[in-house]
Amino acid sequence: MAAMPLRAGRQATTGACQSIGVNKQQTASLSTTAALWKRHVYKGARDNADHSKNRGESALRRTGTRWRLSMSDEPLPKPVPRDQLPPIETDPNHGLWEFFANRKTVANPPTEDAKHGRSWTVEELRHKSWDDLHRLWWVCVKERNRIATANWERNKSKLGFGESEARERDMMVRGTMKAIKHVLTERYYAWEDAVKLAEKDPEVNLSGDGPTFTPREFFEEDQEAAALEEPAVSPMGEAVEQTEPGTGATLDPATIPSSKPQSEAPRI
Amino acid sequence: MASAATSVTEAVAQLPRKFGTKQIFLPNHVIAFIRPKPRQPPNLATFVVPLQFNKLDLRDYLFHAYNVEVNGVRSFINQPAPRRKAGRGKWYRPRAQKMMIVELVKPFVWPEPPAESERKDFDYSIFKNMQKARDEDTNRRVDPSNIPLRTQTPMPRPRVGLIAQAEQFLKNGVEWSNGKTGDDKWTEVETDVKV
Repeated sequence: MAAMPLRAGRQATTGACQSIGVNKQQTASLSTTAALWKRHVYKGARDNADHSKNRGESALRRTGTRWRLSMSDEPLPKPVPRDQLPPIETDPNHGLWEFFANRKTVANPPTEDAKHGRSWTVEELRHKSWDDLHRLWWVCVKERNRIATANWERNKSKLGFGESEARERDMMVRGTMKAIKHVLTERYYAWEDAVKLAEKDPEVNLSGDGPTFTPREFFEEDQEAAALEEPAVSPMGEAVEQTEPGTGATLDPATIPSSKPQSEAPRI
Repeated sequence: MASAATSVTEAVAQLPRKFGTKQIFLPNHVIAFIRPKPRQPPNLATFVVPLQFNKLDLRDYLFHAYNVEVNGVRSFINQPAPRRKAGRGKWYRPRAQKMMIVELVKPFVWPEPPAESERKDFDYSIFKNMQKARDEDTNRRVDPSNIPLRTQTPMPRPRVGLIAQAEQFLKNGVEWSNGKTGDDKWTEVETDVKV
């Protein structure tokens, strides 16, 4: 037990050991070494053994442990300076590239930024489906993100001019987004009006059970009504057109709506 | 060791990602992707987001709009100090700004900013001069008593030319001349100059 500090001290005189061997664990001299007192062995002698197991170990002086550990022979990896590390390659299909208008300069120069047309008009968008409008909206969102990223980069990296062009471009994109909202609002109002009409319409069933739209069969009803009330007089006092007996037969069958409900009828 | 680390990242990447159920069809947010700080590792990406955004929102947004997978999100708010416009008038609090740093599954390295010589399309030389003039103007207005020393100001152009000419003469050993020979080399003030 007492031999350990001695050996470590001898190693330290040979310099900081680099090759890691069985006896060369410690990289620096022990910080403190208890005096090797002579052991008193006579009867009734005082106990002067060293009870401190970690004596001489110091993290500051990098002495290492006094005992060999299981991983003492493992070579430690050496840190590599940051500039010597292999370059990290970015995936060319990385989603974050979509934030850049230009992969080299991030922000497009103002000459490129000014190359844009007008925004979509409401009239043009009225003919588009919801899917188209939704897709266009997301194109606009991403373009605005790109413009915001470019603005930030231009300011922070002091690239130069281009703020005004970027603002104009942004206004165009916002014009399109406004038009999309306009069209959708129009459609919503139209739907609201249609619901109001449908509530009064006897042909439309909004309860959710059965077919929503059941067109009335005018000809059949008129014929029945005519058959029932021979001298037909409407409640308004007007004479209902007298359907002559042969009229139904002379009608072109193609113009008569089928008796099937809408849901069963073949879709043309 | 390395294989274990990669397998862990792969395992994390393959974890089922839970997202909210509330659908937003027409989001109106603007998000800016910010250049990382010089020693920021490439798996961290910084964004400026709207103040009402939370971490889950950004994760969802990046995944569904940009197909970017994220392992974690850190968020903070930059609260500017109260200020007043042009150093006078009413005090007000400038709007705070929210930033989020996401931990990317796939690293992303930003391109280096272009050199000054490559910024011609941005009219960088004019921009630089304008900025310099504006800074000087501001400094003059802020502290009119701070007049720069003559050694700190640029030398006047005639002086620069004279110095260059003098150096040439010294170097070549030529004496100065006004390019004239003969009698009209010198002008006699009393006779030739009419006052």
